[in-house]
Amino acid sequence: MLKIDNLKAGIEGLEILKGINLSVKKGEVHAIMGPNGSGKSTLSSVIAGNENYEVISGSISFEGEDLLDLDPDQRAHKGVFLSFQYPVEIPGISVSNFIKAAITEKRKVLGLEAMSAKDLLLKMKEKMDLLDMQKGYLSRNMNEGFSGGEKKRNEIFQMAMLEPKLAILDETDSGLDIDALRVVANGVNKLKNSENATIVITHYQRLLDHIIPDYVHVLHNGRIVKSGGKELAHELEKKGYDWITKEADKKWG
Amino acid sequence: MGLIDNIKEYQHNFAVNSKKEKAYLSFLEQGFPNTKNEEWKFSSLKKIISNDFSIEDKGIEINTEEINHNSLNFNYKIIFVNGVLDSKPIIKGVKINKHVDESPSFSNAFSALNAAFSNTGYEINVDPNIIIEEPIEILFLTKNSSNNFIQYRNKIVLGENSQIKIIESVKNIGDQYCFTNMQTNIKLNRSSNIEFNKLQNNNDSQITIDETSLTQEENSNSTVNTLLFGGMFTRNNLNFAQNGEHCESNMNGVVILDDNEFGDNHTYMDHKNANCESNELYKGIYLGKSRGVFNGKIMVQPDAQKINAFQANNNLLVSDNASINSKPQLEIYADDVKCSHGCTIGQLDENALFYMNTRGIRKEDARAILTFAFASEALEKISINKIEDLAKDLIAQKLKVDLSF
Amino acid sequence: MKQEQLSEDELLAQVTSAEYKYGFTTDIEADTIAKGLSEEVVRIISKKKNEPEWMLDYRLKAFKEWLEMEEPDWANVDYPKPNYQDIIYYSAPKQKKTLDSLDDLDPELKKTFDKLGISLNEQKRLSGVAVDIVMDSVSVATSFKSKLAELGIIFCSISEAIQEHPELVKKYLGTVVPARDNFFSALNAAVFSDGSFCYIPKGSRCPMELSTYFRINEAGTGQFERTLLIADEGSYVSYLEGCTAPQRDENQLHAAVVELIAMDNAEIKYSTVQNWYPGNKDGLGGVYNFVTKRGICYKNSKISWTQVETGSAVTWKYPSCILKGDNSVGEFFSVAVTNNYQQADTGTKMIHLGKNSKSTIIAKGICAGKSNGSYRGLVQIAKGAKNSRNFSQCDSLLMGDKCGSHTFPYIEVKNNSSQVEHEATTSKIGEDQIFYCNQRGIGTEEAIALIVNGYCKDVLNQLPMEFAVEAQKLLEISLEGSVG
Repeated sequence: MLKIDNLKAGIEGLEILKGINLSVKKGEVHAIMGPNGSGKSTLSSVIAGNENYEVISGSISFEGEDLLDLDPDQRAHKGVFLSFQYPVEIPGISVSNFIKAAITEKRKVLGLEAMSAKDLLLKMKEKMDLLDMQKGYLSRNMNEGFSGGEKKRNEIFQMAMLEPKLAILDETDSGLDIDALRVVANGVNKLKNSENATIVITHYQRLLDHIIPDYVHVLHNGRIVKSGGKELAHELEKKGYDWITKEADKKWG
Repeated sequence: MGLIDNIKEYQHNFAVNSKKEKAYLSFLEQGFPNTKNEEWKFSSLKKIISNDFSIEDKGIEINTEEINHNSLNFNYKIIFVNGVLDSKPIIKGVKINKHVDESPSFSNAFSALNAAFSNTGYEINVDPNIIIEEPIEILFLTKNSSNNFIQYRNKIVLGENSQIKIIESVKNIGDQYCFTNMQTNIKLNRSSNIEFNKLQNNNDSQITIDETSLTQEENSNSTVNTLLFGGMFTRNNLNFAQNGEHCESNMNGVVILDDNEFGDNHTYMDHKNANCESNELYKGIYLGKSRGVFNGKIMVQPDAQKINAFQANNNLLVSDNASINSKPQLEIYADDVKCSHGCTIGQLDENALFYMNTRGIRKEDARAILTFAFASEALEKISINKIEDLAKDLIAQKLKVDLSF
Repeated sequence: MKQEQLSEDELLAQVTSAEYKYGFTTDIEADTIAKGLSEEVVRIISKKKNEPEWMLDYRLKAFKEWLEMEEPDWANVDYPKPNYQDIIYYSAPKQKKTLDSLDDLDPELKKTFDKLGISLNEQKRLSGVAVDIVMDSVSVATSFKSKLAELGIIFCSISEAIQEHPELVKKYLGTVVPARDNFFSALNAAVFSDGSFCYIPKGSRCPMELSTYFRINEAGTGQFERTLLIADEGSYVSYLEGCTAPQRDENQLHAAVVELIAMDNAEIKYSTVQNWYPGNKDGLGGVYNFVTKRGICYKNSKISWTQVETGSAVTWKYPSCILKGDNSVGEFFSVAVTNNYQQADTGTKMIHLGKNSKSTIIAKGICAGKSNGSYRGLVQIAKGAKNSRNFSQCDSLLMGDKCGSHTFPYIEVKNNSSQVEHEATTSKIGEDQIFYCNQRGIGTEEAIALIVNGYCKDVLNQLPMEFAVEAQKLLEISLEGSVG
């Protein structure tokens, strides 16, 4: 589904990603772990198409199509979803109106008729139940005055509504208490099926207790320096990152 | 007769076609600004200029004791006594002289008048890379037997990477009116830094017109703190122009006026280049029948992108007979900017007063403490402890309480 | 909330032409007098309208005052001063003298209304809005008149009011905006040809939104309408005003005067959606909109101005409140959009005279293209206005690096029991917000529309529903193509 080939990218002339290779297939869950500043968020931003980041070389293809050629909204229409580490506030726009706009746009591109208000509300209701959200949510302004946990829940709610093929969860666990974490993880698990894929970006292992990855990759200094199964996450939890990063530094200098 | 007639008597004192004569004629053409002029709408000079003033009065002798009494007694002192440079410090890398400008420039009535008549003031040149930590005190002291109109013209040039701190005050110790018209130009070359403190703590015989203009080159940093604590009539014009990128300009003001005092602060922040910053905070406290004016303008010129400009003017009207006119303005011609201004006019929080009362603090003291707290945000920007302490004492004095904050 | 969604729906469906939607002229025979302004013209206008002597005197006095006045230039706008001798001061569509029902309207005129989206029949059926239509200078149709009359509410053209209710007009005309108030109000007083008049009797609540549509049709005409609205003690009225003008290359002048009078315990809500032709992309043509709007509030009364200004080449407009009575309330909610070469200098004046008077100002400016938008406001608290409060919030959103946005608040306080708070911000539309929308599949143009709508929500919420929808559409249309 997603294939990243020797991707080098950076910001304002500074190279942050120094050759990323990653392949994600349908039905898989990948975890990307790494210490702060290893390039995790840069990777998610580049996949989503944030123009502040510059792609130096390499490629990203999504279902056989070159993703780098597309605008961020076009990527979203193809089914790429990024759950932001820091969701943005949009004053004056209610959550429901925002989601409605997003769904309407996507359906327009796909040549589908707009969803009726009733169907949309029913779907919102269903997904809100899934995420244990209070009804008042819908009429609140997008992320305005939301707590950290509410913002993250709102991200997963949008994901549930938009039903992406590839979901990238960027530090979704940060700012969540343990109960909220369980609810969010539960939501993500329920949305998982054999046709979609998930990339979980995280610093800590605790989210991976709830969302079980098929593969774990360690990102360090702009490169994936180690990959393995879910047991790698546990190993990291016990031993920290140092043993891997030291080894890597020896290799790459 | 009045001041304008006093000035007209000098018709034949100027060399024909000299810059000074041009300035003089320009002033006569404009006259003193009246309240029809938008910039002077609330600041009427009418009563003041109906008095007669002497323009070349030599003053009466001021003895050393009086000088010491009025000086803040910093190590570095530049002292003018009745317009004459009386003493100046010797500082390595800093040239200090009496400033005489033979071809002065002018842009408005008061600067034209100043250009025509001024024959005294200071000139400070700081060599590149010189950093002077210790503040330089500048004191203009006057004492006259009749109403006196005196004009100073000052100039400061900071070389690249240099840094100084100034504390300037004008003081009239006579009992006649002293009308001071002061023009100060400050030039900051690349990466230089100035902190300029203006202490305006005068009695009700002092009339001050002060125009201070700073031009900043790349990477320079300026701070002007205005402490307006008294004077019959004070009008300050403070102008900043940023000629290079990455400049920072700060202006802070604390105004506390009482009785019939009048104070008007006009500031103009001209963002001419990208990636610059400005911060402005003026706090006004008005007692008695005092009147205040604040007029602050932030201009962001076309293509001056990535500007952060902030302006706040907060006022306390303590007395029911006091009044304030505030006009904070933004004029913005670039889009990638963050500019904001805020203005409040109000009173002390009654709940806070009551709370303090229940804790056994006298009403007057509680009022003074809260008032001081209101002003203190603007005082915090002063890096010279002695000035900050002095300001605190003066505020206590103004509020008529025996407290140290 | 459902309705809100509907409106957003329409909004998103509206991504069509960026050209001025209302740019058509109606081909109806008009009764027009020669260009130019003189005492004679004032007399002709008065005569054509069959006015009583006192009205002619009022006009002539205003005309004499106008001759002595100079066109103001303090506003932050730059435009060639109109040649006042090159304007037609009276133009009335020719038609049958009186109308018994809407069906008697000239079919062409009806078509115009349909194009404007205010099909009278539909309005009548759907929303119960009473509409008075002023085309060029004459009021041509007033719906719902009889229904309102039952309640003692008078809603008619001002010409009719001069004939039918001279005592009211005589008593109140020019009391809030005297002719000599300014250059344009003097001009209006001299030559106004029509406008709306409304009187709500004591204690009654007007059961429907009263509405007027202004439209400049005839080439080279100036529209000088005059509105006088009196809410007697304890009454309530909500009044809507919409404006459009056809597309023409030359500048058209619009100098209206609106006077509101809120007696003790009365409330007036006055909403405007102004969409006069703004000129084309190169700044050619467009309406000069120089309007004086002012209301006076007596004890415990309230006047609320809401405006969405997207049109006109040059706007000069400051809907104001004189808070004369104790406990009176003034409000001003404004969205002003400028694009291309438009210039707007708009804001409000809140004059606090009564004790415990309160005012709120929320002004949202949006500037795009090469336009300039200024907020200019005065908050004045007189010595006797003890315990008064004002809160002002003025925000500007900038799009593109060729536009300008300015804020000029004047704040004057003369007692120590009042509080004034003013805040203003200017910033660019957030790139992070656009990216966030993009990531959710919302394209940049739609994202901007969404963000701008959210930004204006506090003001749009003040509008009656029918108007809110139209206003949202207008915002979108005005800003199309503004971000490259």
